[in-house]
Amino acid sequence: MKGRVFFNKSVFIVVFLSFVLVSFADAEELDIFGYFEPQYVFLYQDGNSYQLNSDKLRIDLRSSVSGAEFGADLIYNLYFGKKSWNFLDFLPSVFGDGIPPEMRSLFRYKFIDTLYLDNAYVRMSNSKIAFTLGKQQLSFGTGYFSNPVDLFNSKDVLDPTYEQTGHNGARLDVMLSNRINVMLLYSPIAEVWENSGKLLRFKIGLGHFDFVLTGYEFRDRLTDFYSAFVRDERRRLAGFEFVGQLFGLGVWGEGAYNFMEISDDFYEFMAGGDYTFESGLYVLFEYHRNERGKSNYEDYDINDWLRYYLGERKTISRDQLYGMISYPLTDLISLQLLSILSVSDGSVAFVLMINYNIFENVDIDVMGNIYAGSEGKAYSRKLGNGMLIRGRVYF
Amino acid sequence: MEWLVGTILQFKYSTNQLFSIEDHKGGIMPKKFFLIFVFIVCFSLLAEGTGQGITAEEIIKTMTETLNPEQSEAVVEMTITTSGGQERTFVYKAYSKNSGEKNLMKYLEPGRVKNQAILMLNNADDIWMYFPGTNRVRKLATHAKRQKVQSSDFSYEDLGSSNEFIENYNSVLLGEEEKEGELCYKLELTRKEDSDAGYSRLIVWVEKENYVPLVIDYYHEKDPELLEKELILSDIEMIDDIPTPMKMLMYNKLDNTKTVMEFKELIYDVDLPDNLFTEMGMKK
Repeated sequence: MKGRVFFNKSVFIVVFLSFVLVSFADAEELDIFGYFEPQYVFLYQDGNSYQLNSDKLRIDLRSSVSGAEFGADLIYNLYFGKKSWNFLDFLPSVFGDGIPPEMRSLFRYKFIDTLYLDNAYVRMSNSKIAFTLGKQQLSFGTGYFSNPVDLFNSKDVLDPTYEQTGHNGARLDVMLSNRINVMLLYSPIAEVWENSGKLLRFKIGLGHFDFVLTGYEFRDRLTDFYSAFVRDERRRLAGFEFVGQLFGLGVWGEGAYNFMEISDDFYEFMAGGDYTFESGLYVLFEYHRNERGKSNYEDYDINDWLRYYLGERKTISRDQLYGMISYPLTDLISLQLLSILSVSDGSVAFVLMINYNIFENVDIDVMGNIYAGSEGKAYSRKLGNGMLIRGRVYF
Repeated sequence: MEWLVGTILQFKYSTNQLFSIEDHKGGIMPKKFFLIFVFIVCFSLLAEGTGQGITAEEIIKTMTETLNPEQSEAVVEMTITTSGGQERTFVYKAYSKNSGEKNLMKYLEPGRVKNQAILMLNNADDIWMYFPGTNRVRKLATHAKRQKVQSSDFSYEDLGSSNEFIENYNSVLLGEEEKEGELCYKLELTRKEDSDAGYSRLIVWVEKENYVPLVIDYYHEKDPELLEKELILSDIEMIDDIPTPMKMLMYNKLDNTKTVMEFKELIYDVDLPDNLFTEMGMKK
């Protein structure tokens, strides 16, 4: 049945794209580009070795028609290797042991081959105003690892710069002056207006700093995995961001206070800095506090873990400290070391990454990660140590 | 420079002596006339040799104005040759306004950087980068100014700081010298004490005829004797009546790499809106 649905969806998208291409045959210019990305993931966990591999093809289209700009990208993902996983295998044993065998399947997750429109939008603009309608990239905040003011995306802290999927919305950007912007966004994420996303952002540049004030109304989803009950509630967020420099250091930060309809209000903030040494050595650090996270790891329950994995929560622990060191070994090879520390429970993860621009349009990333925390903590060894090899061929 | 100062001092000393004799004697003897004549001729030749009285500051100012017309729009091809001999080629659109104080670069090729943009304002004191994959704009702090742009041998400071030579350096005219087959002014630019420029000093050869620099030697930030980079400008063409080097070759002497920048298209007679040099302009 799933295969049939996938086939129907694929046919629909191919037909849609054909229509789009034909429609743009008369356009002044249709720009087609993208990349192919094979990826191999090896994981050693609890004495077992696994591999999950994938092939990803992304095709981007850009065109201008009568002053409007059209943009879209199509992503086709194929998975092979171990495609079916169970969250319980990665959680502290105490949780898995308490789940009856017949209920274990409820915690299964399967990687399914997918073909989808990642972004598809039309953008109309003049010198002061831009209006973008459709599925588009919506990412906010100044943080590298974490963004308290971004309710649309959840970053993978092991790979924080990896692209995010698009979101539906109608976005209006108004430039009041060269360094003052206002943005209004409506994102129909729910069936009704009340639960959909509404966002207002006011950005101003002062000296070497940029400041942003943000107001959101959003739907917050909370799943109770014990009862399989999903609860939506209204969330209102008041936030600020800044980025600039102090005493030669790059500095940035974000803060958000969340007014919840049902559950307790909470705050979240992050602050970071960076510096590039003359040798090219680049150092970045960020501190992130999420009041929704727990400060004692013994209080983590199965809901905390699954909400974190499924993106309902940004972190499982309350305080995080992130660090990154990057160094260009040559003009074509760079080395990165990431450290991710849960200050709340003392667990830590390390990621070593080498990026090699092997040919003009071919990049290779080799990444290895080690979780060093004890079982039950945010970055515990139970999550497994792994290695990822990712190629990317641009066309 | 010492020889020039020495010659002038010697001339002043000699003329003072002469006129003191004149004052003392109440007249000018024929022999002294001859000496004055000789000195005047020497001084004239000296003035001719150092640019008809033009100062180093004037040369640098004219050169900076020549290199940075009020506005420009260009397509630039940048080819990087690494120390291992591999080549990487980037093509970008470059927009410039307020005589280079505002700069915007939008990458066209290769695919891995397509649609990325770099905005530099206030002579690269403020730098923003736009990443289309995530639709994010990231502001870079000034410590990034000296970093390589896309691993090239040009730093953000090299590309975006149009008033660099005037604001950050004291200049001295060393004389004239033939360079790249042309007669040039040779100048030494030394970093001002309060400046945070990325090089301790520069030696610049400026073509006498049109005030285009032909060669610039960049010396290391901390060691004024260590040659770090050498920039050679060539293929000078008249674009909208402005002499323009269409090709720039930067050698990095320390890394043994080089980068060639060539203008594939270039116009100065444009009217670029201010809002092009904004976050919205980067994304458009």
